[in-house]
Amino acid sequence: MFISYSWLNRHVDLAGVSPHDLARDLTLQTAEVEGVEPFAPALADVIVGHVLSREAHPDADKLGITKVNVGSGEPLQIVCGAPNVGPGQLVAVAVIGTNLPDGNGGTFKIKKSKIRGVESMGMICSERELGLGDEHDGIWVLPFAPDDNGHLIGLPVAAALGATEGHYDWVIEIDNKSLTHRPDLWGHRGIAGEVAAILGRDMRPIATELPAHGDAQSVPVHVESKGCSRYIGIAIDGLKNGKAPEWMRHMLLAAGQRPINLLVDISNFVMLDVAQPNHLFDRTELKADGILVRDAREGETMVTLDGEKRTLSTADMLITSGGEAVALAGVMGGEASKIGESTTQMLLEVATFAPAQIRRTSQRLGLRTDSSGRFEKHLDPTLPMKAAAHLVSLLAELQPGISLPSAPSEGGAWTDPACDVRVRPNRVRAVLGLDAELLPNQRMEDMLTSLGFGVSGADTESWTVRVPSARATKDVGLEEDLIEEIGRSYRYDNIPEQRVLAEIAPVPRDERRNLARRIQDRLSGSSAFDEVMTHSFLEGNLCEKLGIAMEPTIRAINPVAEGYERIRRSVVPSLLGLVPNNLQLRGEAYLYEVGKGYLPEVTQGEFQEPTEIHEVGLVLARSGSVSVSVADFANTSLFLLKGTVEDLLYSLERARPGRAGIPGLVWVKPGEGELIPPFAHRGRCMVAFASDAKGNATGPELAFVSAIEPGVGAALGLAGDSVADVAFASVSIDSLLSAPEKPVLHRPIPRFPGVKVDVAFALGEDTLASDAEAIIVQSGKGLVADVQLFDLYQGEKVAKGMKSMAWHVLLQSDTKTLGDKDLHKFLTRVEGGAKRIGGELRKD
Amino acid sequence: METTLQPELHQHLQDAKARIDAATAAEELRAVERDYIDKGGVVAGLLAAITTLPPEQRRDAGQGANILKGAVLKALGDRKAELEAMAIDAARSGHGFDPSLPGTSIRRGSLHPVTRVTRELEDIFSSMGYDILDGPEVEIDVYNFERLNIPGDHPARDMHDTFWCEVNGAERDSNMGLLLRTHTSCVQVRTMERLQPPFRVVVPGRVFRQETVDASHEHTFHQMEGLVVGEGLTVGHLIGTMKTFLREVFQKEIEVRLRPGYFPFVEPGFELDARCPFCATPGAGCRVCKQTGWVELCPCGMVHPAVLQMSGIDTEKYTGFAFGLGLSRLVMLRYEIDDIRHLMGGDTRFLSQF
Ligand SMILES: [Zn+2]
Repeated sequence: MFISYSWLNRHVDLAGVSPHDLARDLTLQTAEVEGVEPFAPALADVIVGHVLSREAHPDADKLGITKVNVGSGEPLQIVCGAPNVGPGQLVAVAVIGTNLPDGNGGTFKIKKSKIRGVESMGMICSERELGLGDEHDGIWVLPFAPDDNGHLIGLPVAAALGATEGHYDWVIEIDNKSLTHRPDLWGHRGIAGEVAAILGRDMRPIATELPAHGDAQSVPVHVESKGCSRYIGIAIDGLKNGKAPEWMRHMLLAAGQRPINLLVDISNFVMLDVAQPNHLFDRTELKADGILVRDAREGETMVTLDGEKRTLSTADMLITSGGEAVALAGVMGGEASKIGESTTQMLLEVATFAPAQIRRTSQRLGLRTDSSGRFEKHLDPTLPMKAAAHLVSLLAELQPGISLPSAPSEGGAWTDPACDVRVRPNRVRAVLGLDAELLPNQRMEDMLTSLGFGVSGADTESWTVRVPSARATKDVGLEEDLIEEIGRSYRYDNIPEQRVLAEIAPVPRDERRNLARRIQDRLSGSSAFDEVMTHSFLEGNLCEKLGIAMEPTIRAINPVAEGYERIRRSVVPSLLGLVPNNLQLRGEAYLYEVGKGYLPEVTQGEFQEPTEIHEVGLVLARSGSVSVSVADFANTSLFLLKGTVEDLLYSLERARPGRAGIPGLVWVKPGEGELIPPFAHRGRCMVAFASDAKGNATGPELAFVSAIEPGVGAALGLAGDSVADVAFASVSIDSLLSAPEKPVLHRPIPRFPGVKVDVAFALGEDTLASDAEAIIVQSGKGLVADVQLFDLYQGEKVAKGMKSMAWHVLLQSDTKTLGDKDLHKFLTRVEGGAKRIGGELRKD
Repeated sequence: METTLQPELHQHLQDAKARIDAATAAEELRAVERDYIDKGGVVAGLLAAITTLPPEQRRDAGQGANILKGAVLKALGDRKAELEAMAIDAARSGHGFDPSLPGTSIRRGSLHPVTRVTRELEDIFSSMGYDILDGPEVEIDVYNFERLNIPGDHPARDMHDTFWCEVNGAERDSNMGLLLRTHTSCVQVRTMERLQPPFRVVVPGRVFRQETVDASHEHTFHQMEGLVVGEGLTVGHLIGTMKTFLREVFQKEIEVRLRPGYFPFVEPGFELDARCPFCATPGAGCRVCKQTGWVELCPCGMVHPAVLQMSGIDTEKYTGFAFGLGLSRLVMLRYEIDDIRHLMGGDTRFLSQF
């Protein structure tokens, strides 16, 4: 909201208080000021000139050549096209070198110029050229009689008009959010009341009573809607619409409101002044039955004064006359009955409408107005009559000929919300953290009184504080609310800091958080992956490419952009979405994210909350094609990622690194019928389980690792020249939490030297490495301390359908140094074992 | 000794010494050793030839051969020691050394900047005895609004730019309305329903606002909520806590100011501003603080009694304070990140810097 400094000064004397001081005080005690800007700053640059003469331009009928006294030096010759310029006027002159607003947020510089051959030494300005509205029919004749104001000639116009800090007026912008709970502050008078309390000054009074009225028949008013608690209609006669006075137009502009005509301007002025929206009807357009406030009928239509045809529902409230809607209650007036230039008789509407109903209507119609914004904050029902009195009194000042032909009509069942709240001074101090020395009772009482609260029982431990109606609708109803009033008057900033004293106790362990931390440390550390955070929204196109567009997801009803409705079930798809761009930029991507996914089909609890899953997703992608040779397995993204995941699970102590023959993890290829993500490679994916003492899978599934489905890779653009080797994995943190811990255990360092031997098998190409390793371990009868696959070969040197695999084997005993005999026995057994799995020991 | 050698042996010795002296590498010495000392070498040949000599010459010949062997071995040993000494000397040279040649690169990983700052804050609050809690990102109306004193038609809902959600287009009861949480404050309610006071908790996490994304706005960003409930807690404790926390984060004394701020779930509610830590002189203004000298750091306040009561907490016995730190903002301040979109952008050129 924009607040004009001069406007505030109408309500409280601001002498000696600069706009910036005011802004700071309001920020610290009332509401956040977002900016302080001079209003019409050009007025500080143009100077008062006295038009001495005007002659016709020899070569242009419409132009005049003026001589203007600007105080110093010779009078300036200025060519001017305005029809209203004439000798004797005091005007605003932009001399050469002055910068004026260009109307588009910039400025332009006045230069010496020749207009149709005549030299012009500056410009006489119109109001529009100075940022004072749309008026451009002629130059702005300053509101000073030249005879008495010779001393003003040559002064900056702002100074001549009575400047504050060099400017005509200042605009203080207040953050609307910080006024959400203060319906009383949506006008200048409300803000002025805060300023008065801060400065300890009195408010200037305004009219609160209507003048006498005639005894003609009042306009009938009937209120049917529950949403209207008060409706006042006041007939006013003898009007002559026209232009509002300069001060009012300028203040409206400063407050961000474009002047229209006197009557509309007065209506707006009163709303921006006392925060009470009001509406003016041309009374001749109303029917004899007067005003009926009723709920709209389903599908009923009306044209609002912005020219839009609105289709309404029974939730909306209408002001009607003769059965026809004349206004959408609290939101906007109707086109037909609006005030025109020729209006002489009007009906002033001042009412109180239900906040929720106005809010719903304005939201549904997408029609937010100054009026609806104020009603939805919960306005004081005692305000309408005061606001009406203020409006009529302002109008009467400007048009003394007006009259009220009849008594005001009123409808609605309102009650005064003013209430009493118990306040205990000790409790106030206890919550604020102040003692009686810093905040004595008397000071508290003064603070409340200056903010308009009434205090009784101030000599007791428990005061009764009267909350005025303007504060009681929504804002103040609890002791805490008054603690706030006292706290902000004291200024929170002045409250001394205190240390929290508390019992010392260990903070409970949060195992999931611990796991997440260990995962991040491992992956970002020795695994050298980059941690990413991606949006919870999954883009529709990506889902199509990944084949998951049909999966059930939670959907945003109002997504940030079309196609971003889906809330992800897993973090992996988001990561895959990052692959193409990162490959293009860096040729590789080692990414992981610890995040959440949502399964809408499984809900839990009282409120049927969707299930939240916690997982870490990993993606390893490298530009270039995937090697088709099985021998290159170790250098594929899939096996690099498998190694990363194994290391991760060991480091998380959910599995223990394997020792000879007992794998740390059991990796299983999902069966044909098992569900895997559509973007996983059915032939190249695997699931990890922890292994028990015998090397069998145990516990929950810990991880899923897969190459990307080739068709999906191509859909992502990772084909042809951009082909890439992409693997991904997911590790369920929920499963990790349910999996038994396998803490790291020390293994003794061997005391006796071992014997190293290489063992090579020729095997059928479908034989698993793990089966062959099992043979090697069994053959050692407890002596095999380590088995490392170091070679895998398939090609011309082995028979078709066969492969060669070779291991470094370490034989070691805890009790003796092994000799050739032990080695020989081992190799004999290995040879037999190889045959059992359909292979043979290679001796070449 | 040499003089006693027969001329033939003497010649051998001369030849060997010449080669040894000329040798500059271990292999050359090894070759000399092979030619003279090893099986099949000169010395072995001489010894083998002894049997063909008349008996009276055998002793001298034998001695001569051994002398030759000893002399060659000694010369080899001396030269070897000499060469090693020379090699060490040579190794001491820094000739041609270029310290500006690049270190050999290794693969390294990175921790997301939001994680880094979150951890730092978690550690600070942990050290002050706070629990670190988590809560769902897909929330329901009750926790995001209603039990935070923001009922259905409350205008404060406007500030939240909520992402509303649905499942299969199905309507849900209004209090069960699905949404993406607009603040971490929902976890305040969840905490109060679960824990008995006194307690101190912080809750880091992502939050969502339906906003157009630009350099300073993201629809997804991070916050850290704090909630402390106990007996006798005051505004002074809130100020003290925030000051302590800021001292720890910035490792210097930071001036703060507290001003009124409106949030329906606190009363009184505040905005906490900190003296911009980036201004050349405190309060002078700079780009980061938009020339105001203050940075808006976190909304906070005393927990509204209605919120405490809705969670079954006795408001005569307990008071509490809550704060909502803008984590993403702190991250941007800390690392001088000028575009918030980097945080959720997943570009490894950005990520790998951390
Ligand atoms: Zn700064």
